[in-house]
Amino acid sequence: MYSNAAWAAALGGISIPLLSDFHPKGAVAQSLGVYLEKAGITDRATILIDAGGTVRYAASVTPAGKRDIDALVALCEQIDADWDLPEFVVTTSLPADVALYVRDHCMFSRWALYARENLHLDIPVYNVSVDEGRKAELESLGGKAQAPALRVGDTVMYESAEISRFLVEHCGVL
Amino acid sequence: MIEVGAKAPGFSLKDHLGRTISLDDQIGKRHTLLLFYPLAFTPT
Repeated sequence: MYSNAAWAAALGGISIPLLSDFHPKGAVAQSLGVYLEKAGITDRATILIDAGGTVRYAASVTPAGKRDIDALVALCEQIDADWDLPEFVVTTSLPADVALYVRDHCMFSRWALYARENLHLDIPVYNVSVDEGRKAELESLGGKAQAPALRVGDTVMYESAEISRFLVEHCGVL
Repeated sequence: MIEVGAKAPGFSLKDHLGRTISLDDQIGKRHTLLLFYPLAFTPT
């Protein structure tokens, strides 16, 4: 779970749960027959379970292989077409006055933008590299013109990891 | 490997934020795509 938390942070936050099949090790993988006993690792396997609990797809590309994501998306869409499920709505508990300040050529700004994109959040983005007005606004709100920064009401956070975590925790995708 | 058409065995695991995610809670609401990874920090 701690490794997955670090991985999620490195990705800039993700909207899907990263599950840990850690203890007892690989128990869920074993129950689905995708645990590689000799190597002590889980296969790079993909299993699709429909909303009725039935397995609709099960395959492995071997640990060294690479999944065909486009093919998986097509498969999911095909199966979804057979179902009439409740509409998927992204809900957030973010306050209305949240805004993200970023700057050009900045890795940390990019991470914060990934989090916004991965979590499907429609919050405003201001680029302080080109927008002097927003830069001054950020400085007056948070005390520093440093970006990335996430404004939440009257408070400002400047650490990209903290920004990612805040966005993930206020995003009710699941 | 489990066969297509079989009933999936239930599971309940913790995610990266410490939330417990159960297959049971997804039934009737959404499909579940499980992507197993040999290691974290590896690509697709």
